[in-house]
Amino acid sequence: MTLEGDRILNKRNKVNAVIYFVVVCVMNIVAYPAIIAWTLAGIIFFPFGFVLWKILTGWEGDRIMRHFVWLYGRGWLCIMLPFVRFRREGFANNRIDLPCIAVINHLSFFDTYCMALLPVSNMAFTIRSWPFKMPWYAPFMRLANYLDLETIGWEGTLEAGSKILSKSALLLFFPEGHRSRDGQIQRFYSGPFKLAIETGIPIVPLCIVGTDRLLPPDRWWFMPSRVYLRALAPVSPKEFAGETAHVDLRRHVKKLMIENLEEMRKLQK
Amino acid sequence: MTDQEIIDLINTALANEFELNIDDMLPGAILKDDLGLDSLDRVDMVIVLERAFNFKIREEEAIREIYTLRDIHNFVINKKRELK
Repeated sequence: MTLEGDRILNKRNKVNAVIYFVVVCVMNIVAYPAIIAWTLAGIIFFPFGFVLWKILTGWEGDRIMRHFVWLYGRGWLCIMLPFVRFRREGFANNRIDLPCIAVINHLSFFDTYCMALLPVSNMAFTIRSWPFKMPWYAPFMRLANYLDLETIGWEGTLEAGSKILSKSALLLFFPEGHRSRDGQIQRFYSGPFKLAIETGIPIVPLCIVGTDRLLPPDRWWFMPSRVYLRALAPVSPKEFAGETAHVDLRRHVKKLMIENLEEMRKLQK
Repeated sequence: MTDQEIIDLINTALANEFELNIDDMLPGAILKDDLGLDSLDRVDMVIVLERAFNFKIREEEAIREIYTLRDIHNFVINKKRELK
């Protein structure tokens, strides 16, 4: 390439870097206050919405709460939409057959918000104890009957999870337990797979990429990203038998997820 | 069953259940820091050992004092001797 060509390329890269910096600044200046305002609006208006929804639908309290959490997540998607491209696939006819146990890889705090991309609102999360320490979310999480794994343990989770599933809900697990620091899938806990074996309810593997660019662990500012969520075909636990059924099911699901995540990352590039 | 066979069975059973690398399973390995086994894994660990050795240990106080892989090895070896 000529010297003149190099100079033009360098200039173009510098201009792109400046534009990108401005977009990141605008994103953080706009998105954070908007999320806080949306959260406050949710806290203030939720009691009225809850009563109204109860009168109109007669749904149980935990289901109404989950629906409102899902709506809150939809609002978050709208706030992020100017800066984040969301894409989802694998939801035939825009639905998921319920009940089911969904397992998803974990990259970012905002993975949970991205669950508003799912075409189902009756969704209970199983999570560790620390999110229950956020006072602005904790009462709603308890109302929605989310499961605190570290407090109730796996045996309590199996019991409470079975009850939730008996009401045709989606029970969501992050089987890695923690956000991945390098984007690679980590060790899986056995809990969701034991629950699937015990109840006979299928596992729906979900794969997500891009939220680690949006907001990875150890960074507090947002960056524009392309978030890509894919639902894989449900895996029936009835195909796995014997003492190590949950281990075999876990390995099978993890293998499927690793293959799909690799493919999704390639497509994203 | 020799002590070494017991140790090998423990290592294999835990490696299968918790996706551990058998090469990392050194006797001095601390369960939490070196093998990444946290409080959520404790219950599963007991179930794995009960299934592998066909005994009941979930009510035993000594289980709470286990911190390293060597502690598990010693605990199971002693338990097997008790049951003989």
